[in-house]
Amino acid sequence: MALSVGADSPSTLKFMELALDQAKFALDNLEIPVGCVIVEDGKVISSGSNRTTVTRNATRHAEMEAIDILLEKWQKIGLDQSQIAEKFSRCDLYVTCEPCIMCATALSILGIREVFYGCANDKFGGCGSILSLHKSGSKNLCREGVLPHKGFKCTGGLMSEEAIALFRSFYEQGNPNAPKPHRPVQVLQ
Amino acid sequence: MQWEILHIPAKPTSSFEQSTVDVLASNIEPKLANSLVRQLNQVCPLENLRHVKRVRRRSVEGKIELSVILCLSSENENHMEDIPNDVLQLINAHQLSPFNAKVARYAAASKEEWEEQCKLWPTSYHPSTNSADGVTGFNEEESQYVFKCMKVAFDLAKTHYHGDKVVNAAVIVDPSCRHIIASACDQTCPRSTLTNETGSKLVSCIEREANTTSTQSDADGLASSKERLFPNFSPDKCSDLYFGVSCLNPWGWAEQRPHHQHSEHQCGNNYPWHPLRHAALIAIEKAAERDRQLFPSIGSSKNLSILDHDLKFASDSSLAKRQKTQVLKNEHSLVNKDGTNSLSSETTRPYLCTGFDIYLVWEPCAMCAMALVHQRIQRIFYALPNPNAGALGSVYRLQGEKSLNHHYSVFRILIPEKALYQVESNGSDDCPLQN
Repeated sequence: MALSVGADSPSTLKFMELALDQAKFALDNLEIPVGCVIVEDGKVISSGSNRTTVTRNATRHAEMEAIDILLEKWQKIGLDQSQIAEKFSRCDLYVTCEPCIMCATALSILGIREVFYGCANDKFGGCGSILSLHKSGSKNLCREGVLPHKGFKCTGGLMSEEAIALFRSFYEQGNPNAPKPHRPVQVLQ
Repeated sequence: MQWEILHIPAKPTSSFEQSTVDVLASNIEPKLANSLVRQLNQVCPLENLRHVKRVRRRSVEGKIELSVILCLSSENENHMEDIPNDVLQLINAHQLSPFNAKVARYAAASKEEWEEQCKLWPTSYHPSTNSADGVTGFNEEESQYVFKCMKVAFDLAKTHYHGDKVVNAAVIVDPSCRHIIASACDQTCPRSTLTNETGSKLVSCIEREANTTSTQSDADGLASSKERLFPNFSPDKCSDLYFGVSCLNPWGWAEQRPHHQHSEHQCGNNYPWHPLRHAALIAIEKAAERDRQLFPSIGSSKNLSILDHDLKFASDSSLAKRQKTQVLKNEHSLVNKDGTNSLSSETTRPYLCTGFDIYLVWEPCAMCAMALVHQRIQRIFYALPNPNAGALGSVYRLQGEKSLNHHYSVFRILIPEKALYQVESNGSDDCPLQN
């Protein structure tokens, strides 16, 4: 995906570097290396890294981790739903890999403003690779009383080499959580 | 009308136009076939058309005619422009004359379909060996079991009905031993009157099911709620009653609804709500938590807590399964016990939810459906379609997304309208899930 104007600005790259730090943290913990930060008004307010192995919950992606931190924080200080929704609408997400179909839907449900990602996710990507959940839904699909699908702006390809390099190191050391293959893994020539 | 299991296939039942793909093909000299096919498979593999044969062989006026698929053809009128360079070189080198052809988009599901496909262009056909892929895979006994599990999901949704909104319910089941692994209801909205919900979060789901049937079904308000829960359910109308079904209205959590406000203010935030806590996601979370408690050894070789004297996981005997249930109930006392038996349960520990089924009252949204892909659920059963955001056939069809690394089978349970009012009384007494 091509970079949009301003997507490689210094602050954008700085946030992506912080997301990459989170991904490295995941790698050090034998997790699939994906990391993210959530930014509000130019400040990082939450971060997350993939925790699918330790939790044995394959839905604990970096995005979900970072989102949960915010929801807990905001509920603790007494914000109600509409205030929390308003908060999310001013937040941007920086994540090292394109959000999967699950996370892209979640980000749309929360009404996040913008997403910047590193490498594309050509197996599960929900921001253009497999489905395009960042695009808002057509109005006529919606039934009476149902709120329409929210879209968000999405830019990919930021520091994707770094993100891919982390995946490479992960798969070189082997995924300890993967099930034993039924057949011996065929080594390609 | 009877209860019925309807298979929701990976591909839509579509018109002929949608079920085919346009390709560019060319007749070739038979002696060229081998080398040309090898080169084409390298420069232009037909990734999503593995069921389509690259070469067609037929006899025309007594002569053998060979044709080969060069590449997909674009929608562009002037199709020569979009041919990959490598393919173009082969065309020029062998002076081929490309023509347009249609091939079947999906692998055939039946012999009849395959015969139809081959009239267009030959495909390969592998009859399904997995019984879960077909509707005919359920015998009478299995069907009854499936219906009972769905009734458990309905009952769960009903016990969480508190007079203003309906919620979705999810029940994860291990069909091999017929035990409930986890169950949950939507928690996307603050709830008005809930006393025991917060506390029961950690209660084993099996105990919870037992509670549900023995006491809660007689609780106040349920008798009247029974009639209001699914009054002439019409999937095209999303009345306020269904506003709380998270997957039906994923974007609705942020809406403040004036007539609900008083109750929210009364109890504040003591009920755990979260815009993403849809029933399926919570059920997955509970299943993962159960897994960590039953098999705590992963990742730390020093802390191998072995439960094998109680848990013969390799065994199929129902006795062992019952013991597994008891252990679940007493999990806190057992988890920390250091065993001496070195037979590690790692080898029999299921990977995520491999082999498990989930029962949902409503068809899940894309977030939940993808979460179930991630967690490796084997089969999904839902009762009511979700025309707003359903991802298993209504709006998206994740079971048909080839690129995903896991594919579950999807079934809709058709329930006669009358039975929607009766599920509660039928589902409880003789349910095999509570033993």
